[in-house]
Amino acid sequence: MEVMIVLIPLSVALVALVGAVFWWSVNNGQFDDLEGPAHRILADDDGARASDRSSAP
Amino acid sequence: MASIVVADGHEAAATAPAQRCFHCGDAVPAPSRWQWQVGDAARHFCCGGCLAISQTIDAAGLAAYYGRRTGAGATPPAIDEERDWGGSDADALRARFARRDADELEASLLIDGMSCGACVWLLESWLSRQPGVAHASVNFATRRARVRWRTSEGSLARLLASVRAIGYAAHPYDPARRESMARRERRASLSRTAVALLAMMQVMMFAVPTYVASDDVAPAQQALFDWASLVLTMPVLVYSAAPLWRGALRDLAMRRLGMDVPIVLGLAAAFGASAWSTLGGGGPVYYDSVTMFVALLLVARHAELVARHRAGEAIERVARARPAIAERLVDWPRTSVGESVEAASLVPGDRVLVRPGAGVPADGVVVEGRSHVEEAVLTGESRPRAAGVGDAVLEGAINREGALVVRVDAAGDATRLAGVVRLVEAAAAERPRVARVADRIAHAFVGALLLLAIVVGAYWHAVEPSLALPIVFALLVVSCPCALSLATPATFAAAAGALSRMQVVAARPDALETLARVSDVVFDKTGTLTQGRLRLVATHAPAVDVAAALARAAALEAFSEHPLARALRDCAPDAATTAARVIVHTGQGIEGEVGGTPYRIGSLPFVEALAGPMGAVLAARLASIPPQATVVALGSVAGVEALFVLDDAERETAGEAIARLHALGVRTHILSGDSARAVAAWSQRLGAGEARGGCSPSDKRQAIADLQAHGAVVAMIGDGVNDAPGLAQAQVSVSLGSAAPLAQWTADIVVLSDDLSRLPLAIAQARRTLSIVRQNLGWAFAYNAVAIPAAALGLVTPLLAAAGMSLSSLAVVLNALRAGRAVRRP
Repeated sequence: MEVMIVLIPLSVALVALVGAVFWWSVNNGQFDDLEGPAHRILADDDGARASDRSSAP
Repeated sequence: MASIVVADGHEAAATAPAQRCFHCGDAVPAPSRWQWQVGDAARHFCCGGCLAISQTIDAAGLAAYYGRRTGAGATPPAIDEERDWGGSDADALRARFARRDADELEASLLIDGMSCGACVWLLESWLSRQPGVAHASVNFATRRARVRWRTSEGSLARLLASVRAIGYAAHPYDPARRESMARRERRASLSRTAVALLAMMQVMMFAVPTYVASDDVAPAQQALFDWASLVLTMPVLVYSAAPLWRGALRDLAMRRLGMDVPIVLGLAAAFGASAWSTLGGGGPVYYDSVTMFVALLLVARHAELVARHRAGEAIERVARARPAIAERLVDWPRTSVGESVEAASLVPGDRVLVRPGAGVPADGVVVEGRSHVEEAVLTGESRPRAAGVGDAVLEGAINREGALVVRVDAAGDATRLAGVVRLVEAAAAERPRVARVADRIAHAFVGALLLLAIVVGAYWHAVEPSLALPIVFALLVVSCPCALSLATPATFAAAAGALSRMQVVAARPDALETLARVSDVVFDKTGTLTQGRLRLVATHAPAVDVAAALARAAALEAFSEHPLARALRDCAPDAATTAARVIVHTGQGIEGEVGGTPYRIGSLPFVEALAGPMGAVLAARLASIPPQATVVALGSVAGVEALFVLDDAERETAGEAIARLHALGVRTHILSGDSARAVAAWSQRLGAGEARGGCSPSDKRQAIADLQAHGAVVAMIGDGVNDAPGLAQAQVSVSLGSAAPLAQWTADIVVLSDDLSRLPLAIAQARRTLSIVRQNLGWAFAYNAVAIPAAALGLVTPLLAAAGMSLSSLAVVLNALRAGRAVRRP
């Protein structure tokens, strides 16, 4: 069971890594809009969307 | 993103060195009076024009322009500062935030750092104690405080400072900033929850071996598990649980007991004992309970946060429609030179230019140009409406195509949109009675719980010292006042959001509660069930084509502005038919040639004078026309051709609304000043329960009082001044968006879209909201009644307590979210 001594700190480090990645993605705006991108991928008319955005108040 | 800094003259003088205008690069005259937060620094401006431009750029999210640009911004059109802004600089800016009421000012402040319903109470009490403050109310859903203060004693700057002094940040309300604040809050909440969930997962894994096979775990391994758990629990306690700590510390600093206090006490005790054990003191560890408790609790709070934001957004949408900047035409119509001014500083009589795509900055009348305007925010109708010279346009309408010049009739606080915004804000700023009572009970509940914990702890310490700590921990953690403190306000916030999405505003928070109990709805007729204007209801033309007759009528009526003529024109199938040699006989009708044939349209005698007596078929039809309708005849030398029957048009949804109200078990009544016969005819047509005609305003009031005497809870829906006594007598008064402002001001509920079928929907929504609140309170009572005695007797392990409490609060919050879903059919 000596392997535990390696594995347990490793698991703690992995959790820290996952936490850091998640923290980054949250602050990067990945979770800000969970519905929009699903629709956006269907609308391939990028030009129209850009003009929509610029005319928004 | 950005906030305005309203600089008091002397303050700015002390802090502003000589500098260049952030926008145009001109020298800023000292003292600097124009400041605007762009990015992370307060910028100074040379004049109001530059400031306004910069605000617009910033509000559009384009502040990066200032980082990327290589030259100075365009210099705004020359403005005589002293004339336009001099002496009233603070007023013009403040107009966006503060509303003048005699010698009092009122402002909406955005509050940063509110974590629970209890903060509302704290902020309200604190603000009310500030010098000069006459009234303060805080809305948890939108994070806004409405403060009214006497200008002689208080200032906005001092109020902001005072809010900061108790650990919150306050900003004068600004939509762009609000949005970024909401995003920050959501991201932080998500990160905290995720960290807690990850840690919980891992700590559980270390805990399981101890639970299933504690004999097989070697002491060295156990120590390893404990240390790993300790490391993983630390961030949960310090980072994830930070809002809980802050909430509890704030409560304690104010010497009161919020729902976070027992939670934090339990967490601290459990973690302290566990850490002591791990460091060598010996004894059990509770890392699994601590992390799971925090994680599940944060999931529940995150759900509540999302619901609150969604409700807040729906409410914000109305307020956000107000354009901030207007383009005033200084010398119209001689020149079309424009200057940018704060929309709030417009005065009636000003001419403003509304460019395509821009919002109309004030209520007014079009004096030049032709376009389509979209008034979705006011009416819910997204189909654009044609607007030409002479047509009225409302603030907040979006101009679609052509540039319009609008003469301002009402601006600033006097516009219809401003009235709606105020209603919405006032409604959102107060909490319904149920929520206030629930919060008070929660405080008492927590106090009693802490006392019980001390007693139980002392008892077990005497009987079995090793059990005292886990039992006290379980007791502190297992109790769940969430249905009171967290779920009840969340339910009402969610319901308000759902209502405002269907264009219904509950102007008084208690209205929702009363609306749920409504047993009788009283309608006014004219202007409420009917549209209050004439419409073509039938055409009798037995000998000719109806459409052709209508086209001829419309061609002749094109020369008249009489309401009857308008109604006929509105129904005409085409504009191709034209009339020539038209003579208007005032009070009788119109004479002219259509297709070469002389025609007359108007009163029957006037037409018969040309056409001769009408035929037997038409005469029989005439006899069947109801007496309140107006008849317009059309005839040529060949004889009377058609009879047009015009009547007050019913609102399209009136019949549907009444049917749905009946389906909800609500009785309907019509009280009208009209003749009894006409009212009875309308009542029958719409299927209303009871109808009374010939009512004076005081008769209406008396009729409602009689209903109430028999135990009815009455909602009255009316539009005019003559309904005011009735509206005041009814428990719930409802008005339509198009009603007279007076009726709106006194109404408890305003249906902005003028769609009567929203009323039964609102009643159904209110009933569901109340039933959800009741379900939650019932659940909380049952849960606590079982869990607290069980925990006190030592039957609940800390892990079970943590799971029970956090799942219970998750359940009530998720249940509360159901109030935010719109009801489709009552």
